[in-house]
Amino acid sequence: MSATTRDVREIIRDEQVMRAPILAALADGPLTIPDLATAIGHPTREVVFWVMGMRKYGHLTELKGADDEGYFRYQAVERREPA
Amino acid sequence: MRYDALVIGSGIGGMESALKLADMGYQVLVVEKEASVGGKMILLSKVFPTLDCASCISTPKMAATVHHPNITVLTHAEVTGIRRDGADRFQARILAKPRFVDTAACTGCRQCEMSCTVAVPDQFNADMVARRAAYIAFPQAVPKKAIIERAGTSPCTGECPAGIKAHGYVALVRAGRPEQAFNLVLEATPLVGSLGRACYAPCEGTCTRGELEGSVPIRRLKRFVADAHYATGQPPSVPVAESTGRRVAVVGSGPAGLTAAWQLALRGHQVKVFESAPRPGGMLRLGIPAYRLPNAVVDDDIANLTALGVEIATNTRIDNLAALRAGGFDAVLLAAGTHAPGRLRVPGEDLPGAVSALAFLRSAKLGRATTAAVAAPADVVAGTAPDGQTTMTDGVDVCGQRVAVIGGGNVAIDTARTALRLGAAEVHLVSLESREQMPAHDWEVTEALAEGIVAHPGWGVRRCRGAERVTGVALRRCTAVLDATGRFAPQFDDTDTIDLPCEVVIAAVGMAADTADFAASLPTNRNGTIAVDPGTLQTRLGYVFAAGDVVTGPSMITEAVGQGRRAAFMIDRWLSGHELDPVAFDDRLPVVDRQAVLSRQADHSRRGPLPPPAVPGHAPDDFAELEPPIAPQEVRSATARCLDCGVCSECHECVSACPADAIDLGMRAEEIDAEIGTVVLSTGFRLFAADAKPQYGYGRFANVITGMQMDRLLAPTRPYHTVLRPSDGKVPDRIAYVLCTGSRDQTVGNPLCSKICCMYSIKQNQLIMGTLPLADVAVHYIDVRTVGKGYDEFFEQAKGMGAEFVKGRVAHIDETDEGNLVLTYEDIDHGGGLATAEYDLVVLAVGVQPNPEVAALFGGLDLGLDEHYYVEEVNEDLDPGRTTIPGVYVAGAASGARDIPESILHAGAAVTQAAAHLERQRQPQRSAQQERTRVPA
Ligand SMILES: Cc1cc2nc3c(=O)[nH]c(=O)nc-3n(C[C@H](O)[C@H](O)[C@H](O)COP(=O)(O)OP(=O)(O)OC[C@H]3O[C@@H](n4cnc5c(N)ncnc54)[C@H](O)[C@@H]3O)c2cc1C
Ligand code: SF4
Ligand code: SF4
Ligand code: SF4
Repeated sequence: MSATTRDVREIIRDEQVMRAPILAALADGPLTIPDLATAIGHPTREVVFWVMGMRKYGHLTELKGADDEGYFRYQAVERREPA
Repeated sequence: MRYDALVIGSGIGGMESALKLADMGYQVLVVEKEASVGGKMILLSKVFPTLDCASCISTPKMAATVHHPNITVLTHAEVTGIRRDGADRFQARILAKPRFVDTAACTGCRQCEMSCTVAVPDQFNADMVARRAAYIAFPQAVPKKAIIERAGTSPCTGECPAGIKAHGYVALVRAGRPEQAFNLVLEATPLVGSLGRACYAPCEGTCTRGELEGSVPIRRLKRFVADAHYATGQPPSVPVAESTGRRVAVVGSGPAGLTAAWQLALRGHQVKVFESAPRPGGMLRLGIPAYRLPNAVVDDDIANLTALGVEIATNTRIDNLAALRAGGFDAVLLAAGTHAPGRLRVPGEDLPGAVSALAFLRSAKLGRATTAAVAAPADVVAGTAPDGQTTMTDGVDVCGQRVAVIGGGNVAIDTARTALRLGAAEVHLVSLESREQMPAHDWEVTEALAEGIVAHPGWGVRRCRGAERVTGVALRRCTAVLDATGRFAPQFDDTDTIDLPCEVVIAAVGMAADTADFAASLPTNRNGTIAVDPGTLQTRLGYVFAAGDVVTGPSMITEAVGQGRRAAFMIDRWLSGHELDPVAFDDRLPVVDRQAVLSRQADHSRRGPLPPPAVPGHAPDDFAELEPPIAPQEVRSATARCLDCGVCSECHECVSACPADAIDLGMRAEEIDAEIGTVVLSTGFRLFAADAKPQYGYGRFANVITGMQMDRLLAPTRPYHTVLRPSDGKVPDRIAYVLCTGSRDQTVGNPLCSKICCMYSIKQNQLIMGTLPLADVAVHYIDVRTVGKGYDEFFEQAKGMGAEFVKGRVAHIDETDEGNLVLTYEDIDHGGGLATAEYDLVVLAVGVQPNPEVAALFGGLDLGLDEHYYVEEVNEDLDPGRTTIPGVYVAGAASGARDIPESILHAGAAVTQAAAHLERQRQPQRSAQQERTRVPA
């Protein structure tokens, strides 16, 4: 089951500590959210928050087009400095 | 301030009202509680039935509102009260909340946001993604200025006597920036490593996490950043002000003196520290044993200071402050600590073999710590002990001896454990107090006992036995330590006595300020401490300030650091001719309420706190540091436990990042009074809280979302890059809508139709089918209400695109192991029986609810609410917009569910009446006549 029992505020707070393990997992190439979740050992639901937060703040980006199962792959980027 | 109209709320109803009134020439004040104008409309994807982009049509209105010459807009502000002022005018009080950003300087570049260390749910994205404590509300925000969310000072930071931003450095470590954390502590004091080891950490005692499974290990994180920095061997990188040409002498190099010297040097003053001991550091170097605070750490801390050019003269005892002044120092800080040992006041205490704890520890720390003998060199011991007390400090050798340490405080424990490490055969700890009452920290006593120290709680010393030298102590039972008023007044039972044979007695029974040298020129208190103004730390001499234990009596490092900071702040002001204002020194916001912090979350998962360091089970024979450094993997879990109590951590990263120098954490709220001719209420509606229908699983099932969340997913400024399932980021194949969630539903107390949910769902159906051409969309409905020009055609269009409409209420929703959702519903079109269907995303078309708080604004005036708690219109059909208070009008969805075109129309009606009210004020005679001819409602 995908649902998490953790409070959203708590998951989101963890983005700060999860950034390093996520970037480490992406060091070898782009991953989907389920793959990332397996790599770092956290539920996919939580990984969605972290990936989307990191995407918003320029730490990673999605590759074009979802795979056959409907998942996008995300890759680390050199963080763009805000304009 | 005087305005014709006050418009409360800046959604589409408020903006429309303000613009119309302003175009008529009235002066309008708009008050909006969010950081941007725009209300809910700006957050939508597109609008029905035209499918115009919501932000494309909102932003021009938002800009027009903010830039209109007749409109003043206060965002992030709240009206706190409105009362009548004369016959038909009003007085409004407005709370302009601090943004902590100078909006005139801010360019909206988002550098602050990018560098911020605190992540919180983004309310403008319906909590689907993070924002930062420093943020710009959304990309089209007007004004597009940053704002910092601060709930108050975090308890840890608020508790720190040194004024260190504890939450800030925890947040920096969490964000993987230990060097910045080190620099943040340097803003207060150079003693990062010493505090990281020996601070008694009052912050941890108040940490909100302590209410859960245990405090964040705040102190050990400070040690972590100190160790990380010192391992680089780099000098501190701190901004130092230009030289002021002023000279300050600091007497004493303990935490108070060193911190003051640091702060003064940062402010550009030339500082020289005078220290009577052979090494600088005060109690850090002379008192606290090396197994708790290694000398190398103190040396590293002091090197921060000397790197700024501060001179430290050791072996230099100062006894004449006037001479310093005459020698060219503009100001003097006395920070001499408490180095006169307390006496036992019993016969035999001056025998050889009896010594004070201060002298013993000092000798151990000044270089002889690892040798077995502590026959302290005369130059070290006798040179510092005050006259008349030198006999207590004659050297003793504890190696192979039986040692009795007298005292029950932390100093006694340090002494006993030091004696053990120096090779004592036995160490006995004699205290007046029982084990439970001993003032020493419980964990320190536990560790001492584990090392083999023998405690004798509840005994007092009657005499030291011996002729030539100490041979033992005679003890008597202590029956009470304090009297009824809590004063120290020990009582003894002389019939209950024992003898404790020993060769060494060490008295750890307090210490006092040694200020005899200064007593002639400076007023002192009865206990010898220097008398100062507690707010400014200035003495009667004006140019002399005093700080630390010499003022407070024996205290703790962090207290002395705080005093040193305060003294430096005041000395700097005194040197530059500014008023010595104690309030200006501490600019912390009030501390947040810990229960309020905990209640931000529905629940908290428990995370194992750091295990306490293992208690050694044997007598150690060296001074190796006991507490291990916090391991890298522990750092992550330790910092992740911080609850961000104050929201902003005060890490100061935004301050460094902002190219416009716009951040001002010292900003405070302002109260504004305005005189107003008419009031337009446009406070809009609230969305139904979907978790109030628990059978639909909102909040429990990740893939059950609300209509507002789907609008965000479809908007150009969306939280994700496309429509994805929140549970796993998958593109959904089958999406269901549940109409009338929280509307037309007596079980949640709302019989009304919300009017907008059918239409926004139909809009979203079309947008989804455009974005995800392969997705199937099904809408579970009771009936579809499409009343409005072109609305029915819009509905037909959705059906034509493939949306399936299923008539019947949804009974409940269940979740499968894959996160899919099984709807159990009434299938009216196929015989009315129960049916089930599986989807991978469910959208609850939540309805609208009233916002009744607005009624509370009118003290003494009765703002009527209708039976559903919307703002009551006296005659909705003939006189829309008029409330029960003459001169107060309501515009838009504050008086009932309305879509955008209806809200605009309604605002037009309301402002026409508001304008008429203003005209009546201008032409009182005409107004009286009009009132007479007015058709009663
Ligand atoms: C054994 C022991 C253990 C402690 N452990 C802890 C702990 O773990 N955590 C904690 O928070 N607190 C602890 N404390 C308390 C803490 O050390 C003090 O609160 C703190 O050091 C006070 O700082 P200060 O700068 O006021 O004085 P001090 O540290 O005493 O510094 C004053 C300095 O001035 C010098 N001096 C004095 N007179 C003159 C003069 N006339 N001319 C020149 N120099 C002079 C002294 O030699 C000394 O170096 C401990 C204290 C002791 C004794
Ligand atoms: S960094 Fe400064 S200028 Fe840029 S948005 Fe933040 S406050 Fe404004
Ligand atoms: S001080 Fe730190 S936590 Fe606070 S807003 Fe600035 S960057 Fe964010
Ligand atoms: S939870 Fe964090 S911010 Fe709150 S008191 Fe503890 S360390 Fe400070």
